[in-house]
Amino acid sequence: MTTSSLLSTRNLKKVYGKRDTKFEALRGLNLEINAGESVAIVGKSGSGKSTLMHLLALLDKPTSGEITLNGRSTSKLKNRKLNRLRNKEFGFVFQSFFMNANDSVLNNVILPLKIAGISRRERRRRAMEALKVVELDDKAKNKAKDLSGGQKQRVCIARAIVNNPKVIFADEPTGNLDSATGDKIEKLLFDLNKEKGITLIIVTHDEELAAKCKRQIRIADGEIVEDAKTKKGAKK
Amino acid sequence: MKVLDIIHDANSNLWRNKIRSILTILAIFVGSFTIILNSAINAGVNDWMNKQIENMGGDGYLEMMPTEAYDTMASMLSGNSPQEYTEDKDDANASMYIKDEQIEAAKKIDGIKVFNALPNATADYITSSRTDKRYRININLVVEGINFDMSNGVSPNTAKDAPYEIAINEDMAKALGYENVSEIVGETVQIAVPSDLKCRTSAVKRSDCQTILDVKVSGTQAPGILSMGGSRVNLSFWTHANEINYEGYAPELNRSSQATADVDPEKIDSVKAELEKIGLKAMSVDDEVGMFKVFFDAILIVFNIFGGIALVAASIGIINTLFMSVQERTKEIGLDKALGMSNGKVFASFSCEAILLGFWGSAVGVVVSMIIGNIVNGIARETFLADFPTFTLTIFEPLTMITIVAIIMFIAFLAGTLPARKASKKNPIDALRYE
Repeated sequence: MTTSSLLSTRNLKKVYGKRDTKFEALRGLNLEINAGESVAIVGKSGSGKSTLMHLLALLDKPTSGEITLNGRSTSKLKNRKLNRLRNKEFGFVFQSFFMNANDSVLNNVILPLKIAGISRRERRRRAMEALKVVELDDKAKNKAKDLSGGQKQRVCIARAIVNNPKVIFADEPTGNLDSATGDKIEKLLFDLNKEKGITLIIVTHDEELAAKCKRQIRIADGEIVEDAKTKKGAKK
Repeated sequence: MKVLDIIHDANSNLWRNKIRSILTILAIFVGSFTIILNSAINAGVNDWMNKQIENMGGDGYLEMMPTEAYDTMASMLSGNSPQEYTEDKDDANASMYIKDEQIEAAKKIDGIKVFNALPNATADYITSSRTDKRYRININLVVEGINFDMSNGVSPNTAKDAPYEIAINEDMAKALGYENVSEIVGETVQIAVPSDLKCRTSAVKRSDCQTILDVKVSGTQAPGILSMGGSRVNLSFWTHANEINYEGYAPELNRSSQATADVDPEKIDSVKAELEKIGLKAMSVDDEVGMFKVFFDAILIVFNIFGGIALVAASIGIINTLFMSVQERTKEIGLDKALGMSNGKVFASFSCEAILLGFWGSAVGVVVSMIIGNIVNGIARETFLADFPTFTLTIFEPLTMITIVAIIMFIAFLAGTLPARKASKKNPIDALRYE
């Protein structure tokens, strides 16, 4: 198993505040996520699941412990390198979308490629490809704010896959959507997981969504209380 | 992220909140407009002064008089208390004139190319065939080796035995009946030269002691503050006029009270110091222009301070605008950083916005001040500067304009560093949590 391990943590701790206000968000987590997995991180609010995701996504640094990506330790990496890793290896989908509302759909999808410094023509081509995957290529020129909630989240998925990432981090991806549109988004994410082999890490408190993942990591009070594998796999 | 993308994004971010950006640009414009217009007026005045200096014979032209004579004159002009007479030092007659040994010593000074200490010459009036009127004339000598700025024709021939020639002041040319001043070039005018002794003794009427000489007009000079209405004659006329003036006097009375020199402009200060040592007070054209210039510079400094204060206020406007922008775009910055944008790029993108504010403010300043400057030039030429045809009030030098724009962009950048730093220090997680 360790040979194909994509992300792993060793004794991961995160402490907020000092002395009296000290709060241990994570209390020494050991975890291994393999390439191609679909993992749900489940827990109540305040359980530490978001903190875990931020650490795994290299958005934040642990107080102690180690995160290994592709077999390499990330604790000694410089900010520049971390930025590059996030830009190249990860895609992000957020509950409240985070789009530039006044910008066009295309420009929103282009953003990671622009940050990567890819040429105009190439990033346009790749963004259109990504929009085709989420079936929104006809809306490329529209302003992001004119889209429906479901469409917005599809644009965010397009943005998350435009750089051909190894991992997509999704933070409550369906939290702001009704169940019908939510289902569509879920299907899109799991299809990407199956067809392109993109590792899916979903943070959610939605048990139904968690059950569709092949693996559920349950967190409470900063500790893993359950790490279960679904036998059947996700249903379409 | 590419530099071009940063600039492009900064520009589109700038126009997201149009009114706010335009107001900030307007504030920068007020400061830049003041400074740009000031510098244009400064350039105009400097240009005109340089023309005056050319008119007077250029950078290397020096006029001298004995130091004692100068001090006496200066003390009278400046209203100082009268100077006490001391018998051993003062010889009223001798101190008025330049001595032979001074001339010899001056000619040896390094840096002096031509030294002239010719005896004085005067004329009574000038007239021409086109007018019945006679006009008083103050003649000056055209010094060899010095080129005067001519508005028409050429400088008079300075050869010893050349025909009599004069470079005439444009106002004088008009008075002599040449409304179109260029027509006077090549014409002959008449100058009356008095014989002093004869006038004081045997003459009944003034005309009995005057010799009328025909002089060819070689060219015209534009009027200016420094030429003081004087016209310039050549050496052969001057020499002859002097002979007529001093006819019958003892030769030792026929001496010069003033000297002129053509000096290497680089050495003008050392030459002046050397001349001082041998008792000659030398004034360059710069010295003469200097007084006016000092006064004028003081006014410009005051206006530039106003412009500077306006720019400081505008900088605070930039800081305020960008802080608001950073606040509004917290989520966006968080997203950018989550997706891999470095702190440096975030800083660069906000700095770029500040620089663009500075650019637009100063660019509008350049355009508007050029338009207004040209309108003012047109009005000035018709009204208060009508007598000074070579004076262009505002001159916009491209290099100066570019420099001012660059400096204002730099100031804007400095103002932008505060908010840009704040943006770059934002933590992506906090920013993304921010609702």
